Amino acid sequence: MKNITYNKDFYRALQDIVGERNVSEDPAVTENYRCITAQSSAHYGPYDTRTPKPQAVVLPGSTEEVQQIVRLCNKYKVDFKAASTFWAAMGFIGSDNAIQLDMIRMDNVEIDAKNMIAVCEPFAIGGTVQVEAMKNGLNCNIAGVGCSSSTLAGSAGWVGFGPSSIFMGIASENLLGAEWVLPDGEIIRTGTLGSDGEWFCGEGPGPSPRAIFRGWTGTAGTMGVCTRIAIRLHPWPGPKWIPVRGTAPAYFADGLDNVRAYTVCYPDWDAYAESFRLFYEADICYLAHRQFNMFGRDIKTAMVEIFTHPEKQFCDLPELMEDPYIKEQNEQMKVDVQIVLAGFTERDLDYKEKAFDEILRQVGAHKSEYYLQQDIEDFVKLYLLRLARKNYNYTLCSSYEGNFGLSPNVFVAAPLMEEAAALKREWEQTHTGVAAVGGDSDMGSVSGIGGGGTTGWEFFVHFDGFDKESIYDSCAHIDRTQEWMTEKGLGADFGRWNADVRQPNGYNYTQEQHDSFYSKIPQPALAEYQWKIREAFNPNRLTGSYYKTLTPKEFRDGDNK
Amino acid sequence: MAKKSMFDMTPVKGYEKKLEDFFPMERRCSNCLGCKFVPFEKIKSNRFGRNCPSVWHYNFNLYSARGRFQLGQNILEDGSVRFEGQALDAIFNCQACGACDVGCKVTRFNLEPLAHNIALKERAVEKGKAPDALNAVAAQLAKQKTMLPGAKKADRGAWASGLKLKDISVGKETAEYAFFPGCQYAYDKDLQKKAKSYVSVLKKAGVDLGWFGKGDMCCGGRAGQMGFRKEFEAQAQANAVVWKKAGAPKIVTPCSDCYYALKRQYAMLGIEVEVVHAVELIAELIKSGKLKLKKAVDLSITYHDPCRLGRLGEPFEPWDGTEKKILNQVHTWTPARPRYAGTYGIYDAPRDVLAAIPGLRLVEMERVRENSWCCGAGGGCSVFNPEFSDAVASERVTEAQATGAEAIVTACPWCEKNLSGVTSENGTAMPVVDVIDLVAKAL
Ligand SMILES: Cc1cc2nc3c(=O)[nH]c(=O)nc-3n(C[C@H](O)[C@H](O)[C@H](O)COP(=O)(O)OP(=O)(O)OC[C@H]3O[C@@H](n4cnc5c(N)ncnc54)[C@H](O)[C@@H]3O)c2cc1C
Ligand code: SF4
Ligand code: SF4
Repeated sequence: MKNITYNKDFYRALQDIVGERNVSEDPAVTENYRCITAQSSAHYGPYDTRTPKPQAVVLPGSTEEVQQIVRLCNKYKVDFKAASTFWAAMGFIGSDNAIQLDMIRMDNVEIDAKNMIAVCEPFAIGGTVQVEAMKNGLNCNIAGVGCSSSTLAGSAGWVGFGPSSIFMGIASENLLGAEWVLPDGEIIRTGTLGSDGEWFCGEGPGPSPRAIFRGWTGTAGTMGVCTRIAIRLHPWPGPKWIPVRGTAPAYFADGLDNVRAYTVCYPDWDAYAESFRLFYEADICYLAHRQFNMFGRDIKTAMVEIFTHPEKQFCDLPELMEDPYIKEQNEQMKVDVQIVLAGFTERDLDYKEKAFDEILRQVGAHKSEYYLQQDIEDFVKLYLLRLARKNYNYTLCSSYEGNFGLSPNVFVAAPLMEEAAALKREWEQTHTGVAAVGGDSDMGSVSGIGGGGTTGWEFFVHFDGFDKESIYDSCAHIDRTQEWMTEKGLGADFGRWNADVRQPNGYNYTQEQHDSFYSKIPQPALAEYQWKIREAFNPNRLTGSYYKTLTPKEFRDGDNK
Repeated sequence: MAKKSMFDMTPVKGYEKKLEDFFPMERRCSNCLGCKFVPFEKIKSNRFGRNCPSVWHYNFNLYSARGRFQLGQNILEDGSVRFEGQALDAIFNCQACGACDVGCKVTRFNLEPLAHNIALKERAVEKGKAPDALNAVAAQLAKQKTMLPGAKKADRGAWASGLKLKDISVGKETAEYAFFPGCQYAYDKDLQKKAKSYVSVLKKAGVDLGWFGKGDMCCGGRAGQMGFRKEFEAQAQANAVVWKKAGAPKIVTPCSDCYYALKRQYAMLGIEVEVVHAVELIAELIKSGKLKLKKAVDLSITYHDPCRLGRLGEPFEPWDGTEKKILNQVHTWTPARPRYAGTYGIYDAPRDVLAAIPGLRLVEMERVRENSWCCGAGGGCSVFNPEFSDAVASERVTEAQATGAEAIVTACPWCEKNLSGVTSENGTAMPVVDVIDLVAKAL
């Protein structure tokens, strides 16, 4: 273990860099940057454990300040981690000798409409990048985490797929240039930016280390601090701002006549999978996501009723669930998906509608009548286009974790859905810790543009972050689904994805611990390669253990720092 | 001896009162950023997308409603943070403006961020940790029945001289409405003229109007916003006695702070009073034809929704329910709990009045109605931290200037004073007027 090297001189140096008001070691501030993952557990962290307390929290205001902070950390051998919107545990530090960088002061967005590019700083969230893009007839991919999440974090730090990925691609497909302070303090500008070609392209003639910085899943803050990125924007055929009607908090999109939102009801999972293939092939969807099923098969329609009526609340659920009309809707929508079509011209919309109807006919599916009601359709349009209501993920019980994560291939996953749903339903009936919502609470996007296969399935396990029994029971449930996943040869359960990068007590793994399990993975050479990358870019190993590294065989008993 | 765990607490009955009652909410907050931004569907630009003045200004998460929930946990669960240092700084640098509350309730049904912010202030006050400037304000209230520094009880009635308003406090005369000016209108020399203007307009339209004469006092609401619950309650009870003696008339006030105090804060104490804001009454008078605005006012204006008339101006509903879990873990309330999400605030009445003025052109700012940006005078911040208060006001003036309007109009003396003279990010100020100024011009 490294010696504790954080000290008063270090703190004073931080003050000199960012000014006194932008750095703090007051416990009220530092305790605020500990992730308590049970209460907002989504995604991959220890449960009911606080991540370690940072020695200080610093708020840099420019790339130059970031560089100075990183150099200082290297000089004093103090760990650091940057995060922008802090939705999940991965943005928080993992050792006692660490400082947290909160990127909130860097929130600028610039739109280059001609070249269809947005240049974003870390605290520019999807919601603001999108409104600025729409003013120019453009739109951006917003990851499923929702529009309150940093576009940069999604693009540089994590996967970044969502409902719009079928039309606009996932984050790795949209990332052009990046301005990056490497873990040792060097500033690198990637892609054409690196050769003064501005932000135009992510690949050369400048350096193109995209694979190193983000790869497919992103490097979760382990490759230094990204200060600006450029993302590709996509056409938006709607108005400069989506008009909103309704009274708080029941809002509806108003007058988007060339945009249609449908919910498709399928006779079975085979039809569902086949339609996905056809949707992808026909290239007609603007957005595609299985969304409202995240509340659960038995309550999803009742939930939409609650959200679209400002006077309704969850205590109305039992009555709504007994309503014969709503029951009938749930029955029809057992296997369902939400699709948004957008017409760039009248003929375009007409063509897409016809192609859509034909696909439904071919697979024996139909459009849900419930979702054709004007208010409901307009609610869905607003929900999916803006992804403004991601906190609905938590609204039912205050916490949730996604589990299963069956497979990116719909033809592998679809045949397993009912078995997975039955496993969850049985748990709901025999345990009281997770919400009983009808077993199937799966949601996920249909596809990405780059290969048609980025289908992210995730069952929502809703639990109460105030109730310890509920916390532990949901954890036990995920252990059980992991067993099932292993039995089926499906790999890591979604709820355990990050189990190998942060210890259950909230701390980083040591290299020895990583070596002990990455030496046993099917392709250890990959983790060995990443070890070499880490050594080259991050010689002091200062950014935590989310980068999956295995000490190469030749060093394993020697150079284990 | 091991401290009893906060997780073992028995469910609270009725609205939460003390800090401990909020512990489940502190745990159930989902760290979603809804209390840092205007509800995301309503954001119109990156520049004006934020909603919480406190975290916008100070940037550390601690200063957001989410951060305050976390702070509460740290205080209650393991004592890792105490009422000192930056904890106190954050606790009192909250405008009590409720923007976080509206943002949160767009998606959450079981959290009360604003009430929790106030509970933190109250606990700090109980522990004697309030800033000196706020202690002085509370002492002033107890002594002079006003919270304006330097003001004297004896001078309170000066504004009404020459108006011949019926004094209904002594029980001899009665009136349908009692005019309740609030401290700013009562004491501030410039604002006194506007109070007179309100009275003249209302009387001209035939409203049967009186006032409480020597019994007229501060509403005390701001003491509540600052965490001085004891002082607030004492003041509320004192007013209740005066009003009862005066025959419990309906109260009309031109001050949005007083409006909120009477409509919500008093109602929470069980003090029943029927209150309207003066602009609501004027809107009604225009609608019924009793007030006619004929003269053109050639001006383009933008309207600033005061927090306490808008999103916080919803009527209070008593509730003595408790929590109930259904479907194993779905958290709900029995019976249904009133949900103050800014839905039913007073937004249309002032706009209706402005629309009735010939020649006047209203251009809306980006953050309006339930998402209005606070003027910076809330929660006592203007008293003890003018730097913060001015920065918040400057942000609003910048937003107002972006509309191209020539003046800001509002319906609250605190907003008017705080926005007046403050310069925007371009270094220029903007005229700020009250609705009544334009009404008076149009008569
Ligand atoms: C409710 C919920 C739903 C989700 N759904 C989806 C989904 O549908 N699809 C999907 O792809 N993902 C999903 N995720 C994961 C999600 O993509 C990431 O959480 C998100 O993209 C990043 O947002 P954040 O607020 O977590 O970012 P942050 O907390 O800011 O950071 C996320 C990661 O990026 C790193 N990072 C942030 N800023 C910087 C920077 N400036 N420089 C270097 N590193 C940085 C952080 O260290 C951290 O590891 C979900 C997460 C949650 C909590
Ligand atoms: S009441 Fe206003 S200032 Fe206070 S935390 Fe909420 S939004 Fe921020
Ligand atoms: S909006 Fe509500 S749930 Fe979200 S972080 Fe703020 S207080 Fe918590």
